[in-house]
Amino acid sequence: MKRKFSEDMAVDLVVYILLGLVGIVTLYPFYYTIVCSFNDGLDLMKGGVYLWPRKFTLGNYKLFLEDGDWRHAFLVSLARTLVGTAMRVGFTSMFSYALSRNNLMFKKGYRFLVVFTMYFSGGLIPFYVLLRNLGLLNSFWVYVIPGMVDAFFVMTGINFFAAIPESMIEAAKIDGAREIKVLTRVVLPVSKPFLATLALFSAVGQWNSWLDSAYYVRDAKLHTLAYKMMTVINQNIATANTEAAGQLSQANTQTSFTVQATAMAVSMLPIMCVYPFLQKYFVQGMMIGAVKE
Amino acid sequence: MMKRKADIRKGFRRFGRQIELQALALAGVAYLLVFSILPMFGIIIAFKAYKLTSGVQGIFSSEWIGLKYFTEFFTDYRFTELLRNTIALSTLKMVFAFPIPILLAILISECRSRPFKRLIQTASYLPNFVSWVLVYGISNALLAQNSGAINQLLVKLGILEKGIPFLTDPGRFWGTAVVLSVWKSSGWWAIIFLAAISGIDSTLYEAASIDGAGRLRRIWHITLPGIKGSIVTVLILSIGSFLGGGMVGSNFEQSFLMGNTVNNATSEIIQTYAFKMGMAQGRFSYATAVDLVQSLISIVLVIISNRVAKKISGEGLF
Repeated sequence: MKRKFSEDMAVDLVVYILLGLVGIVTLYPFYYTIVCSFNDGLDLMKGGVYLWPRKFTLGNYKLFLEDGDWRHAFLVSLARTLVGTAMRVGFTSMFSYALSRNNLMFKKGYRFLVVFTMYFSGGLIPFYVLLRNLGLLNSFWVYVIPGMVDAFFVMTGINFFAAIPESMIEAAKIDGAREIKVLTRVVLPVSKPFLATLALFSAVGQWNSWLDSAYYVRDAKLHTLAYKMMTVINQNIATANTEAAGQLSQANTQTSFTVQATAMAVSMLPIMCVYPFLQKYFVQGMMIGAVKE
Repeated sequence: MMKRKADIRKGFRRFGRQIELQALALAGVAYLLVFSILPMFGIIIAFKAYKLTSGVQGIFSSEWIGLKYFTEFFTDYRFTELLRNTIALSTLKMVFAFPIPILLAILISECRSRPFKRLIQTASYLPNFVSWVLVYGISNALLAQNSGAINQLLVKLGILEKGIPFLTDPGRFWGTAVVLSVWKSSGWWAIIFLAAISGIDSTLYEAASIDGAGRLRRIWHITLPGIKGSIVTVLILSIGSFLGGGMVGSNFEQSFLMGNTVNNATSEIIQTYAFKMGMAQGRFSYATAVDLVQSLISIVLVIISNRVAKKISGEGLF
């Protein structure tokens, strides 16, 4: 009896210690970023700031907000998040509704096409050639049009919509409703968990997106917050390296790192805001996919 | 013959009756044909001398040159290095990013304090939702050799004499990349295993407990066998994307962001090389050929994983 008791305690102890470590390792980097964003830039360079701002300032946020480039990048990210999410939710749910109807002709062929595109693609270069010829390079639309149909969510949507009782749809049709009306008035209102999952997935993806800025956009006016962040991080690393070689004065970059940290904190903000919803729907959404698999 | 004609006419009529539904479906189909299928035909430029200025028609009209670019890639002095880096990163990610979420899920499920459990679980998948750029920025703030907070602390405490160049040392790139991937995605993947654990019949634990099995033995004999199905499923699913980084799927973004001139010998992978050849140097045909080599390996892997899935669960992925 004594042996079992002590094993129990030991397991508890190990579990608490390891989970505590997981918690710290996961959260501290975010916390540190926020601390940096509230600390004076020159003071931070002296080192030794770990747990809270030593020389508290709102100056970094002021600099961030006053900088037209940062503001613009933020707005581009915001715009693509709103427009891109709306377009993807609309188009994907429309497509999967049609494919979920049992009487649809060529249903099997259509579905095969969707699954096929989920696993195979033409790769980066042919896609680039396509976008170039569609005139989508260097335009805002390159952020939102290529992601309008998400094959994975089309399949998820088909499963979700197929579970809606046929009688509900038939009743609306007998009343003379057109398909698009059946979709918007009957099907979508009862599919909120699906829509929420799709919208959240899309919004987070859009907000975090930066590769398409690197690939398809030259115009600095169209660069997203994440992309601009990347270029600034690279710049700061480069100046840090030349500084280490003693070529530049420190004053030059005294605040650029803290402003970078501010941008990072700002880019985390929307994610933190939707996190409670994410938790509810993402987990659910992941399960929809998992069960199917 | 007559019957067939009648069938066709019937088919048309049926199609006409559901024309609205078909319009919705065909809009999506057209979209996929343009944005997914059309680029697949573009792959043929890997076998052609294609110039970007010749547009879409150029894809078909440019001159065939056979396997020239493939031979060029296979004989490229960097070929073995690129292949080694791609496979090493993918393998390391598979080896570490796969068991750690399982371990994390077990730890969380064994935690007896509900609020603590919830807190840790909620925190653990936060990194999954931020961009790699942010992770890149954070890793620089913490791990840079001179200015990184962790290095500074270790030097200050006298543990190190000089900061460790986690981000610039070619010998450390793989390790750093794998640790960051694990950091970013473990909590997310733990969700699936946690769900599987919560599905295990709790009477099994009670029975084992009465029979005198301690907690470790219960984990070993009940929890692990109970989630075997999920483990196999996740494993199979990650085979197809193996070369992209498997379930953490981050090879390209990581090498693109964290690769620099100093660690290039270990950070450059097939995909970043293709990107540089195509987008930066304008060698589109060559880049397509390089990319295609990886795609072909991936297709083989997808087919294998589909076969395995069919054998084990009786149902394929597609």
